[in-house]
Amino acid sequence: VSPAADPAVISPQDPTLLIGSSLVATCTVSPDFPLKAEDLYWTLNGRRLPAASYTALGPSTLSVALARLNGSRQQSGDNLVCHSRDGGILAGSCLYVGLPPEKPVNITCWSKNMKDLTCKWAPGTEGETFLHTNYTLKYKRRWYGQDNTCQEYHTAGTYSCHIPKDLALFTPYEIWVEASNRLGVAVSDVVMLDILDVVTTDPPSDVHVSRVGDLEDQLSVRWSSPPALKDFLFQAKYQIQYRVEDSSEWKVVDDVGNQTSCRLAGLRPGTVYFVQVRCNPFSIYGSKKAGIWSDWSNPTAASTPRSERVAGGCDPKGGEQNTTLRRELKQFFGWVKKHAYGCSNLGIKLYDQWRVWLQKSHKTRNQV
Amino acid sequence: GDSWGIFTFLCAALCNLPALPALNCSEELGAGQSIQQTYDLTRYLEHQLRTLAGTYLNYLGPPFNEPDFNPPRLARAERVPSATVDLDLWRGLTDNARLAANYRAYSRLLCYLRVLDGQVGTAELRHRLAHFCASLQGLVLSIGGVMSSLGYPLPAGPAGPPAPPGAPAAPNDFLKKMDDFWLLKELQTWLWRSAKDFNRLKKKVPPAVVTLRLEARGF
Repeated sequence: VSPAADPAVISPQDPTLLIGSSLVATCTVSPDFPLKAEDLYWTLNGRRLPAASYTALGPSTLSVALARLNGSRQQSGDNLVCHSRDGGILAGSCLYVGLPPEKPVNITCWSKNMKDLTCKWAPGTEGETFLHTNYTLKYKRRWYGQDNTCQEYHTAGTYSCHIPKDLALFTPYEIWVEASNRLGVAVSDVVMLDILDVVTTDPPSDVHVSRVGDLEDQLSVRWSSPPALKDFLFQAKYQIQYRVEDSSEWKVVDDVGNQTSCRLAGLRPGTVYFVQVRCNPFSIYGSKKAGIWSDWSNPTAASTPRSERVAGGCDPKGGEQNTTLRRELKQFFGWVKKHAYGCSNLGIKLYDQWRVWLQKSHKTRNQV
Repeated sequence: GDSWGIFTFLCAALCNLPALPALNCSEELGAGQSIQQTYDLTRYLEHQLRTLAGTYLNYLGPPFNEPDFNPPRLARAERVPSATVDLDLWRGLTDNARLAANYRAYSRLLCYLRVLDGQVGTAELRHRLAHFCASLQGLVLSIGGVMSSLGYPLPAGPAGPPAPPGAPAAPNDFLKKMDDFWLLKELQTWLWRSAKDFNRLKKKVPPAVVTLRLEARGF
């Protein structure tokens, strides 16, 4: 680019500076332009700088002194601009003011079915460096030289990376994260792990929750083991959590073992419950160690039956009438099933769902 | 959020197609519909650009994101094709020339935008840019489709490499910010102009004209 194209030149052009440092910048007008030092002024990020900080260093050179600079307002750099008296832009320089990166910390990794490795980390404690900071995850097999660089970033959040293939089992890996920006580099501590120690799997599929006959305080949960279980030698242990619909407190059932069904007891009658199951691949290749718990399955809902004989004043007015009504309804539905076609959806179950819904909307109305 | 916007918009655009009997005169039929779709696409892109430009200019920082910012257009900025043209000249453009100007402009603008995508800092910006580039690519293809259906040859587009020959990269970061500013400005101006271009073309190739012709032939 020929100098004649630019009306003025700023020095330094696009410098990188530590927070708190000072800077003297100069603007020199090109000889082709009829401007003098007194015709110029400076702005930083759109704000005019005080004339008191200016010094004319020559007939067409004006300098400005900036002291104790704060971190850059935007990562693309602060805009220091030299203007002519009428406001026109003559030249500009981007100032990158910040801090060198801190060591990344808290590196945690997991492998999905021993096929890949995903790691996440946190930036160092200070966090904000004001400069664009690049993170690179590196890994190598211990005792086997060659460093590898992870390529797929942001798969599990901003500070994460995914290694999709070519991972060896039964061998320790060294993993670390390098953070770099214009002011320097910082390397995390090295984490050592064996893929087999950080294995997780998919959540169980086909989770079904159903009533146990007419028992009003129990629900039966059934699920399928995750498909990967068949492919390699691990056992699975499961955990169930459940909660009442309008509560946020989960109850956890820990001693499910490796069964794919479980019965929840001690539940409230006529209440809707949400249930989730998760899986832990355990004793991989006979190692006796636990893996990492999978995500919870999507919540499945079911309701416990409501008893016909309700003692006490918990029911709204006309409780006795309702139980008679219910009995009659049951008889009616039984008759319908026998004599009417295409009405198989009618049944006491539907009536129960409707009662649950009624209870819910009654509560909501009271809350409002 | 964004993807729903596109989806509903495209559905609405497609649903506005006039119902016509499927007959042999499909070429001009196709052009009428394509012109409407291209018009709709420019309006959609204009809307998308408003958000993208806002985010990008905030990333560049003041004074770039100030509403009255008006930097000098240095000689180097001329490499971005300009939408502004003499009014009489614009009125006098043939359909072919009008479409070709649009096609060439957006092909080049797309190239420059793609280069931007590779350099930009934040993940959010990269995501928005990638999305916009995909839509812009759609516009280029749409214009090409209109040209083909009217029997016009496509102008020789810019070659593969992102920086067309004779366009050096900005010598410093501040000048690069200026280039980015003008790129977005020019994109905005082109989208405003294209809406007018396609409106004009719509009037010259309306579906109604085709229907009349069919009746005259006794269909």
